Formats: sequence, structure tokens, C-alpha cells
Amino acid sequence: MTERLVLQSVVKRYGNKTAVDHISLGVQEGEIYGLLGANGAGKTTTMRMVLGLIYPDEGSITYGGRPYGGDVQRIVGYLPEERGLYPKVKVSEQIIYLAKLRGMNGSEAEQNLKYWMKKFEAEEYYDKRIEELSKGNQQKMGFIAAVVHRPEIIILDEAFSGLDPVNVELLKLAVKELRDQGASILFSTHRMEHVEELCRNITILDRSKTVLQGDIREIKNRFPREQILLKTSSAVTGLDQIAGVVGVEGDPESYLIRINDEAAAVPVLTEAMRQSEVRHFEVKEPTLNQIFIRSVGERHE
Amino acid sequence: MNRLGTVIGFTFKNKVRTKSFLITTLLLALLMTIGIHLPFLIQLFTGDDSGSSNKIGIAAEGHPEIAQQIEDYVSALPENELQFVPLEQGDAAALNKQAQDQKLAGYLEIAPASAQGTSEAFPTVQYVSKSGSIPADLQAALQPAIESAKTRFITQGALSDEQIKQLTTPAQLTAVSYDKLAGTDTGGTDEAEGSKFSPMNFITVYVLMTLFFFSAMLTGNMIASEVTSEKSSRVMEILITSVAPLTQMFGKVIGVFLVGLVQIGIFGVTIAINLMLPYNRNVLAGFDLDFSQMPLDVLAYGLIFYILGYFLYALLYAAVGSIVSRTEDLGQAVTPLTMLSLAAFYIGIFSLNNTNSLLMKISSFVPFTSPTTMIARIGLGEIAFWEILVSLVLLLAAILFFGWLSAKIYRTGVLMYGKRPSFKELRKAMKAYKI
Repeated sequence: MTERLVLQSVVKRYGNKTAVDHISLGVQEGEIYGLLGANGAGKTTTMRMVLGLIYPDEGSITYGGRPYGGDVQRIVGYLPEERGLYPKVKVSEQIIYLAKLRGMNGSEAEQNLKYWMKKFEAEEYYDKRIEELSKGNQQKMGFIAAVVHRPEIIILDEAFSGLDPVNVELLKLAVKELRDQGASILFSTHRMEHVEELCRNITILDRSKTVLQGDIREIKNRFPREQILLKTSSAVTGLDQIAGVVGVEGDPESYLIRINDEAAAVPVLTEAMRQSEVRHFEVKEPTLNQIFIRSVGERHE
Repeated sequence: MNRLGTVIGFTFKNKVRTKSFLITTLLLALLMTIGIHLPFLIQLFTGDDSGSSNKIGIAAEGHPEIAQQIEDYVSALPENELQFVPLEQGDAAALNKQAQDQKLAGYLEIAPASAQGTSEAFPTVQYVSKSGSIPADLQAALQPAIESAKTRFITQGALSDEQIKQLTTPAQLTAVSYDKLAGTDTGGTDEAEGSKFSPMNFITVYVLMTLFFFSAMLTGNMIASEVTSEKSSRVMEILITSVAPLTQMFGKVIGVFLVGLVQIGIFGVTIAINLMLPYNRNVLAGFDLDFSQMPLDVLAYGLIFYILGYFLYALLYAAVGSIVSRTEDLGQAVTPLTMLSLAAFYIGIFSLNNTNSLLMKISSFVPFTSPTTMIARIGLGEIAFWEILVSLVLLLAAILFFGWLSAKIYRTGVLMYGKRPSFKELRKAMKAYKI
């Protein structure tokens, strides 16, 4: 697979402050790439550089091998964190306008718009003004505006924030569809479960530096497994006496056991089986949430 | 180019359809219609009793020759509509009754200055009517008539009619330049002085200046608020990743310019239709206005300066709009520009009668004031062709410079949210963004 969007040790400084410090990443065709980080870590600056809104001080950004330029604008789609649409203009008009600005002709844009409207079950909003729509629907329209011109590179900044679960599923499906059609998607969010579901590769930024990067599976394997989920038919006691166990939480019959050594798993299971009937035993892999908090949160302390 | 067209089209379509545009246009068109009809309406109201007001009684107690002279004088006036009806002698009550019976507007009572009883004193003349006042047009007709009669009365035939006429016309004081007097005037415009100050020239200049001032301010504000609202609704972030900021800015400026043209066009048609109406044509003819006298050269120069001046202001308004994040802060931010256009307007208006002053000469070369002051100088003053050319070149240079600067500010400003940045902060941001 070729990497369509490539950032090579990109640096951005505002005065004395370095906002982005030597970040490199590559997004392949048909891939959703997760860009994570606490507030102010440099995500938005990175995205703005990808969009050509601001230029990097060092390093380079290439789009399918080319540097930024007018033709690149046409293959990029962008959903800003704060929805950008004209409040007083009809949905259809402004989305077709935005598509035209990105080089698509009017009739094709209209066709695409209708396709997405149908997909989002929002056909009745075609002739409504944005200000008449609910927040969730406005967001859907923003999403359509970002993808209506069939971009090869899509940048989604907090695409799912403020949506109800039903709409989140709808948008997730749409993002996956675009991925399967070969789009390269740079995706930023604070919701780790979305990242785990959608992304293969991620970069976690912290205070303008990359702290973690790579395949989610590999990253997870790099982190020790620290939790055991145990479900039994009756109460089990004395688990906290076993070497390697740090703490035991939860109600009888369902325990969450924190360990600092994976070797403690076998004694825990043996002890549980001795006392009761084990219904469920799992040495849990760390969630992305935990990894994020460990790699970002610990430094903050 | 294609994208520029798209931006222009979108801006135009959305501006024209807004309620505020429709309402202001209709309202102003209505006001203009009323304004044009005003002279006619006034005539209509005052003319209500015009059926009888043509008739005026004269009670010339013992001075029939004065009454006769007044009558002669008035009837010799061009377009005279007054008729005099001699009234029989009597006391005040009898005269009043006669006037009312004959439905006269009023009557002139020529009473001998009987206090002294001398026949040398010119009698007092008073106009007696129901309201006790004298209409302006009647007074304008009667005053010289009575004065003429008075002169005749005093000189008692010692002067000829020609001498009396000279005596009653005021002396003329005219002004002329050294060059003109000596015939060495080498100015670029060789039109006769008289035609320069024709009312049509004056009106053209006045209208062009007012038009410029209002459209620069109204459309300028339109552009600025458009940019600010795009910024506050964050459409800007998408727009700026789709179109080059320069294209975007010019698209907006041209789009709103077209909206302004449509508006002016509507007003023009409204005025034209109103003036065509037969009853209004008569009234205008009374003002001595002849549209065939329209000075075409002034109009052409006016149009060029109007368009260039518009672009200069519009670009700056766009730049100001881009540095403001919320529409509420916009008014304050555009104040300097408003002041500038106000200055241009007032320098022009107050100097209409003195177009060759130093102030006018200087300001006709300053790009921000030249669109109004240059028109005044071309239309009403003495100006060489090279002066117009230099002023145009300066204006063009200013557009290029401020267009470039505005594009930079625009590019930076649209990405800066929060408090309105100072110039220093803008400079810093421009550096940081590498613009």
C-alpha cells in the first residue's frame, strides 16, 4: 500500500513556543489514521498544516507525492471541529457551492449530495436552511459538505462529538464506506472507543511531541496486561493475598483484579477454581483509554 | 477564474435574496418616488384654490394710475396668470364683501399716505386676504411691479422707461481670473465658463458624490459583515481550504459590487419612470433642468473614479471584516473607514462652490478622497488633463497596494479568533503563518 498523505518531521513554531515538534506520519489509501492527544497537544495545528492553512517551519507534507497547491485543494475534504456552514443559506445551495469551489461541476455535486442525503435519511432537509436544523443534523450536513466532492484525503476533526448514538453509528458507517472506497482519512477524536473500532494506526501527541505511534495492536502488546476479569458462581476470598495482585474490586461473583505481573494470572485462576466455579476468566489487554492516560496523563503529573 | 465566477455568483444570489436588501431597496425607491412627486404634490395642495387665486382685486383709492401701472407691469411678465379686477370704492367692510362675492384670492388696497395729506408721498399698498398672508409667488410678481410703479410715481415722468428698467435691475458683480481676462488661459478644458456652472453639471457632480459615499459605505459594510459572519460561522475554514483567499476576497467584492449596481439600476429606473410622467415633466421644466445638457465627460470620469474608489474601499472593508470575530465588534472596527469616506464626502460637498481651493487640489490626488473631489474639480472647476491622469494612476496604485495588503490581512485575520488583534499581533501572526 502506498502512503498518500505523508508528513515528514514537521515543525511549527509560534514565536518561542513550539506547537508541533518533528511529527512524522503517513496515511495509506483506504486507511483511517487516528490522531490523538490532549487539548493543546498540537492536533489542530497539525491538521491546519495538512490543510495548507498554515505552512510548516520545517519538514514537508506531500499529497500523493506532490507538495501543496491548488490541485491539492480539490482532493482534500475537511470537517472542522466547529461546523462550518452558512446559517442562513439553504443546505443544497451551500453544499453544491462548496463542491463547485473544489472543482466539481454542479450536476455531479447535486447527484452526490442526494446520495448522501438519502444515506443519512435527511432528504427532507434539502431545501431547509442550516439554522433550522438540529445540531446533530447540522453536523451531518457538515460531514456531507466535507465529502461531497469525493476527496481522496479527508480530515475529520472531532467528527462525532455532540451526536446521539444512532447518528454516531450512521456516521461511522459512512466513514467506513469512504475508507473502503480508498480514501485516506485523518481522524482526530477524544473518544478512544471510536479509534479502536475504526483506526489501524495511530499517533498520540503530547505537548507538541509524538509520544506513541504505530499499529494499535502492537501498541497494545507493548503495554503490560494489568487487569483480570473474573466471574464466578460464588464469592471468592483471599485473592489479594496472591503475589503480584495489587488490588481487587467489584462485587462477589464478578471481580476486577489489578495485577502488576502477568505471572499472577495462573495462581489467581487456580485459587478461584479451588473456591468456586469459574464462569469467565480474562486477562484483559489494556484499552486505548488506559494507554492514552498512561502515556499522556502520567507526564502531566 | 472559474472559481472566482462561482464565488461571485454565490455572493450575488445570496445578497440579492436577503430580506434586508429587498426591504431597503423598495423603501428607498418609494422614498425617491415621493421625493420626485413632492413639487407636484405641493402644487396640488396649494393649487386647490388656484381657480380663484388668479383673480386679484385692486382698490386704488385716488391713485388709478398706480393701479394701472401695476397691472401693466404684471401682465407684461412672461407666463403671467394673474388677473386684476378693479373694485368699487368703499370702506373696508364693503371691499371685503366685494372680494368675497367675486371669489377673489384677495385684493390690493392702495391707500394714500393720508396722514400727512401730501400727494407727493407714495401711497401704502397692502394685500388683504382671508388668511392675512401673501403667497410667495404672488409676492414675487407684485413686489417689482409696485417698486416700478413707485419709481414712476417719484420721478413723475422725468425718466424714460428704459432708464427706469435699468434702475430697478440690480447691478451685476462678476468674477474672472487674470488668465481668462487676458485670454491666456491654457487649461485643458476650454469650455466656456458659463456652461461649467450649469445646474446640470452641479447636479451630476452632487449625485455622483452622494452615490459614491453611500455605496462605498453601504456595500463596504455589507462586505465586512459578510466576511465576519463567514468567520464566526466557521465556513471560512472550509472556504479557505478550497479557494485562494485572493480569489475569495475579489469574488466577494465583485459580487457585492454587482448587487450595488442592481440597486442603483433599480433606483435609476424608478427615477426615470417618475420623471417621464407627464405632470412631473412640467414641474421639472419649471426648475430649468434639461437632461440633454447632461455633461457626458463628467459622467464618464465619474464612473471610472466611482468604480476604482469603490474597489479601494471595498478591499479595505473586507480586510477589516476578516480581523473581527463577532458581528457585534464590527461597527467599532470599521469606524476609521467610515470616517475616511465621510471626510471624502464632506470635503467634496463643502467645496462645491470653491473647487479650486488648495484643499481640493491636494485631496483630489489622495486616493481615498479623490473619487469625490476629483469629480467636483472635473465637473465644476478648472483642471488639466494630466492632473486627472496622475490622480487615476495614484488611485490604481493605491488599489494594488491595499489589495495586496488586504489579502495578507484577510489570509491571517480569518484564522485568528477571539479578541480583535492589534497591528502588532497581526504582524506577528503573518510572520508565524509565513504569509
